[in-house]
Amino acid sequence: MGTYIEALTKRWQSRYRRSSIQVILSLSFTGVAVVGMVLMGLALFLRFSSAVNDQRAESSQRVLAQVNLNLDSYLRSMMRVSDAVYYQIIKDTDLAEDDLTDRLDLLYEGNREMITSIAVFSESGKRISSVPLSTLKDSVAPEREEWFCKAMEQIENLHFSTPHVQNLFTDPDYQYHWVVSLSRQVELTRKGSIESGVLLVDMSFGGIERICRDVSPDGEQGYLYLIDDQGEIIYHPRQQLIYAGLLEENNLEAARYTDGSHRETFQGQRRQITVKTVGYTGWKLIGVAPMRNLWNSYGQMILFFLMIVLFSVLLLVWVDLRLSEWITAPVKRLDRAVKELEAGRERVEFSIQGPYEVEHLSHSIQSMVSTMRHLMEDIIQQEEQKRRSELEVLQSQINPHFLYNTLDSVVWMTENGRTEDAVTMLTALARFFRISLSRGNGMIPIADELEHARHYLTIQKMRYKNQFSAEIRAEEGVESLYTIKLIVQPILENAIYHGMAYADGEGIISIRAFREGEDVILEVTDNGPGMPEEVVERLLDPGGPPAAQGAKGSGIGFRNVHQRVRLTFGPAYGLTILSEPDDGTRVRIRIPALDEEGAKRHQKEEKP
Amino acid sequence: MKRKIFLQLLLPVAGLGVLFLLLAFSPNQNAARPALLEMSVILRESDPAVLRTTRQGMEQAAADLNVELRVLISEQSQGAEEQAALLRGELERGAGAILLWPSDRAALARSVAEAAERAVVVTVETDMTDLGADGSVTLDNEAVGKALGNAALNGVGPEGTVLLLDAVPGDNGVTRRRKAAEEVLRAEGRKVISCRPGEGETVEEALKRVLDREEAGVVLAFEAASLERAAELARTGRGFPLLYGAGSTSSIAAALEQGYITAIAAKNEFTVGYLAVETAAGLARKETVERKTILPFLLIRQESMYEPEHQKLLFPVTK
Repeated sequence: MGTYIEALTKRWQSRYRRSSIQVILSLSFTGVAVVGMVLMGLALFLRFSSAVNDQRAESSQRVLAQVNLNLDSYLRSMMRVSDAVYYQIIKDTDLAEDDLTDRLDLLYEGNREMITSIAVFSESGKRISSVPLSTLKDSVAPEREEWFCKAMEQIENLHFSTPHVQNLFTDPDYQYHWVVSLSRQVELTRKGSIESGVLLVDMSFGGIERICRDVSPDGEQGYLYLIDDQGEIIYHPRQQLIYAGLLEENNLEAARYTDGSHRETFQGQRRQITVKTVGYTGWKLIGVAPMRNLWNSYGQMILFFLMIVLFSVLLLVWVDLRLSEWITAPVKRLDRAVKELEAGRERVEFSIQGPYEVEHLSHSIQSMVSTMRHLMEDIIQQEEQKRRSELEVLQSQINPHFLYNTLDSVVWMTENGRTEDAVTMLTALARFFRISLSRGNGMIPIADELEHARHYLTIQKMRYKNQFSAEIRAEEGVESLYTIKLIVQPILENAIYHGMAYADGEGIISIRAFREGEDVILEVTDNGPGMPEEVVERLLDPGGPPAAQGAKGSGIGFRNVHQRVRLTFGPAYGLTILSEPDDGTRVRIRIPALDEEGAKRHQKEEKP
Repeated sequence: MKRKIFLQLLLPVAGLGVLFLLLAFSPNQNAARPALLEMSVILRESDPAVLRTTRQGMEQAAADLNVELRVLISEQSQGAEEQAALLRGELERGAGAILLWPSDRAALARSVAEAAERAVVVTVETDMTDLGADGSVTLDNEAVGKALGNAALNGVGPEGTVLLLDAVPGDNGVTRRRKAAEEVLRAEGRKVISCRPGEGETVEEALKRVLDREEAGVVLAFEAASLERAAELARTGRGFPLLYGAGSTSSIAAALEQGYITAIAAKNEFTVGYLAVETAAGLARKETVERKTILPFLLIRQESMYEPEHQKLLFPVTK
């Protein structure tokens, strides 16, 4: 059990962590609201159903009260008939002188719908008068009949019998009527003296039936029946079925019920029973309403309540969704902005309108992003600065040695009277430096770069006493393009120191500038001794060891040029060295073909 | 999320729709009555008074079970051929169920078997389930015959003669009662004679004819119509033998009360009619019902006829 709860908690926590704020909010709101609605609906339903029950019971009681009123009225009319017979006919008649029959017949005719027969018997059971039939059956002994005995036993009362077949008189049509007998003891006058007798009024069954039939306590499948104080059925809408044994009724149990509403289970059916005692007779009106009918109504009621609850839930869900969406919208916008930032978008809007906390959060994030951007720009600037410094350091490495050697040569020429040569060398040196400076521009036309190389070669040829020859060629249109300055001279320096110094015979250095697609190639070729492959590989390796100590040029020139080109134009550009021992060396410098505008753009990027 | 929202809204809306439909079109339990069933009733007896209570029972059951009754009475009281023709006619009309008071089992066996293939056939008074009928509502006819025979033993001495009224010839429940009574009487040494009305002869005429010729101490009638007729004859003349019989009508009750009939074997006629319709309707609607019902009967004499239970049996509550 504990494990199960633990697993359930974990699952719940996992789902909670994966859910959005809106889902959590809407689910929480909906859950609370639904529980509230269901509880409220349940309370209302219970209250309402209780009220309906009470109302139904009251309604049944009202129906029974009305039937009781009608029945009471009917029985009282029967009693009035009996009273009329007794006080207006029997009391006024001396049997020795007069006959009751005509007057009884008159009364009978006036009430024949309700009355089957009226008869007067002497104390011994002898028929004195009767209407409408006058012949007593031979087999009948009225004094032994229950109605007769009761009347004689309790002389002050009127007695209602249970339903029975009227069997006193001979009927030529063989008609047998079910009746309820109303009997009473009467005082008969004969020759002035009083003697006891019994007055019998047989009420027809139809009178009671008319009052009770088609009455339903619940207006549906309910019905009403009438029993006497012993539970004997007087009227039932399906009386013949009961008499035939095809149907049973809970009449004996019902006789024990007090007035009011009761519930019973009879033959597996739950029923609501309403009881009303009919005054004077002790009879009971029993109203039966099957609970199934009540539950039918309850079912409708439950459906109605469910519909209201569900409709409310639907509304609540909709409202909750809109509400949670409205509440979480600023948080979602903030989340989206952060995601955009994560995706690398530069301009992200962080000014989110919403509740205080969200606005504060968005401002904080915006401020944080702004600070971060400034820091990044600072870092980039510092990196650029560093790169430029590096470049300048590399550029500055070129000059001092060459200047020293050239000036040394000029001194030597001047001391030896070679003034003209000294002037030529100094002139070339001056022009060489003028191009080197180039008014501080890092980018110069290729023509200037080749001119710079020419002056350098002029100086070196004088120093090396024309041990090598050199030629410079440029493809048409290439000279007007731009390059970073001082990239050919270090290559020439290497060609002279490592090529021409060890060349067999006359050394030849060739400089060529030409287009190759969108690039420009500056190619320096010498016919020196060349280099093995490992040396070539080492020359461009920025982390590689320098060339042998003592040797003029240590390869720094190659690396220097290679790094400057790559730092300026990117890794697609730089040097390529093709060399084989005894086969000379060919160095290619690949740079982009930049016109004046392109060169200026580069210049600007390098000077922010 | 959209799917969730969709479900959150869709499910309550769907639920709401279902509830609305349930509320708006919920089937009324009170109106959940079975479909109307047309039931034909082919009576053997042409005297409607004899079967009045039975018909009340049938009509009550018809009202309760939503059955429309079509009552047909054969012109000839004992006409098996006519009953067979009526059976065929009702089948052609498309009757769903047929109640039949058979006049002759053997003569009707084929017709009943054929009819039972197309409709539900329930026989009353005479059991024909062994011949293909779907159900039956009868008395234990042998028991009725024996009870009447035993009652008659008290009315006639050991050498006396008992006249058995054979008003319903043929193989039927009435005949079985007669045969059972005859066996009891013969076993007890009584002389037994029979009286069967001839062509165009009434029961009274036949009885007179036989009684003029033979002296009988007891007359036994085995169904209500002939018992009524015998009782009427008993009213008209003195010295009529003791009369016993089966069946109960108001006329028979009166004769019993007046002493023209000594004892009757009575069943609840209302129950017969009600159960016959109920059984046929149940079988036609494929419900679980008792296919063969054997009803109880009571032997009632004058002195016991007003006992509460006998009153209920002899005198139906007429409203």
